Amino acid sequence: MQKSAVKRLPFLGFGLGLRTSHYQSVLAELPANIDWFEILSENYLVAGGKPLYYLDAIREHYPMIMHGVSMSIGGSDPLNWDYLTQLKQLADRVQPAWFSDHLCWTGLDGSNIHDLLPLPYTEEAIAHVANRVRQVQDFMERPMLIENVSSYLTYKDSAMTEWEFLTGIAEHGDCHILLDINNIYVSAFNHEFDPHEYLHYIPVDRVGQFHLAGHTNCGDYIIDSHDHPVIDPVWELYAEAVRRFGPVSIMIERDDHIPPLNELLPELDRARSIAQPILKEVAA
Amino acid sequence: MNRIASLQSQFQRAILTLDDEFDDKILATKRVSAKRRIGIYADAYRLRLIECLRDSYSALNTMLGDDQFDRLCRSYIDTHTPHHYSVRWYGQTLAAYVVGTAPYCEHPYLAELATFEWKLMEAFDARDAAPVTIEDMAAIPPDQWPNLTFALHPSLQRLQLAWNVAAMRSATDEDRDPPAPQRGDRLVPWIIWRTQRRQFYRSLSADEARMLDQARSGANFATLCEGLCQSIGEADVALHAAGLLKQWITDGLIIRIVK
Repeated sequence: MQKSAVKRLPFLGFGLGLRTSHYQSVLAELPANIDWFEILSENYLVAGGKPLYYLDAIREHYPMIMHGVSMSIGGSDPLNWDYLTQLKQLADRVQPAWFSDHLCWTGLDGSNIHDLLPLPYTEEAIAHVANRVRQVQDFMERPMLIENVSSYLTYKDSAMTEWEFLTGIAEHGDCHILLDINNIYVSAFNHEFDPHEYLHYIPVDRVGQFHLAGHTNCGDYIIDSHDHPVIDPVWELYAEAVRRFGPVSIMIERDDHIPPLNELLPELDRARSIAQPILKEVAA
Repeated sequence: MNRIASLQSQFQRAILTLDDEFDDKILATKRVSAKRRIGIYADAYRLRLIECLRDSYSALNTMLGDDQFDRLCRSYIDTHTPHHYSVRWYGQTLAAYVVGTAPYCEHPYLAELATFEWKLMEAFDARDAAPVTIEDMAAIPPDQWPNLTFALHPSLQRLQLAWNVAAMRSATDEDRDPPAPQRGDRLVPWIIWRTQRRQFYRSLSADEARMLDQARSGANFATLCEGLCQSIGEADVALHAAGLLKQWITDGLIIRIVK
């Protein structure tokens, strides 16, 4: 595989996902221990009203990154240029250092299943997705990150590991990776692979951002539900990721059972207290 | 169709129709069968859309109760595949579905409530526009008044309600028990709108509704006054019309006065 030189993305520090229920506390308190926010792009592809009001007001105080769920970068329908045009207009407004979406497909024949559906891990799929990544990244004129998703099934067609597939697309599409540490943990459980092997395969300079989140253990499988605090084994995997990848912007996602902002901040402080000594040690 | 598109087509069909033709394309693990693995996605699809409909139609959910609302959602989902990239639009045709589907169509307040709640959604994120002020209105010389026309806020929604559905929604928003469905003796005109961040709704008198509808279609102030003459003595018309206009400005409904 031909590898191109990669420019590392800047380290933005420790961020949170911006959620509607926190708008007012963020503006009232302007917490100093949140370095940046990740927004869910689709929530702001609207004409006006409360979402855009708070977006602009909070953007005045914090850097923001745009994270989407509907690009269907692995889909077989043509790219949705209407969607991408609106995404680019939002990027002009928000001025994110990068934007991201998931390594998945979300629907076929114009449908949107509103889920992050996995792809078969094949050379054909790498070529297909990498070609689309290049088109999107050129159009958006900003660095694009693709995120590893949690998945619950394996195609018989798959001919390689998930980490080989993700890396193949990042290399061929010349994009960066948003490495979701929780998703690695979830998929490792669901597909019975070693999460450490995953981490140690991914090329260091391609990783531009981390995600952390909680999940739901259903016994025989784990669902990536973002409705609980991060669990200890995921924190341990995160520490290992910081040691390998160095200063990578990190944020915590919570999408359901969202507690008040001040209850999420200790989790962010924990991410910081894990990372800082390791980064200091690695730098020395 | 290439190999990826073919797999995606089968996967999507398995999610939408729960058929089992995709099962043999998937590996089982020691713990979970192929069918169950696909089922995780099929379940998540329905639960996510039900949650979206619950967000859009909180009062409809309250009035039907969780079980019946869940049944309504599932039958809607079986016949409506989402197409928009934002899930926010998924419930757009729920009122039309309720109108045409038993047993919901046997309770006409349900469709009216769904229409009301969808229009609240439309007002919520409609385009922003700064309203004009009373001072703007006062600065206009009297001789220009007959020809004035008015641009209304882009969030403004107009509807006619026979039932007490607005009270159902406000009770739900305030976590109170909603009133029992009650049909009035006539259709009542209502508006829904938003100032920058807050949504409002209120009923209108027949006069105000007629004048507002005319203003929305571009009629000038003189024509609005003529419309009011049907129910108000000619001597009082201009004052009455100016009073309604002042109310609309106070409400934030007018974004431009065109001379």
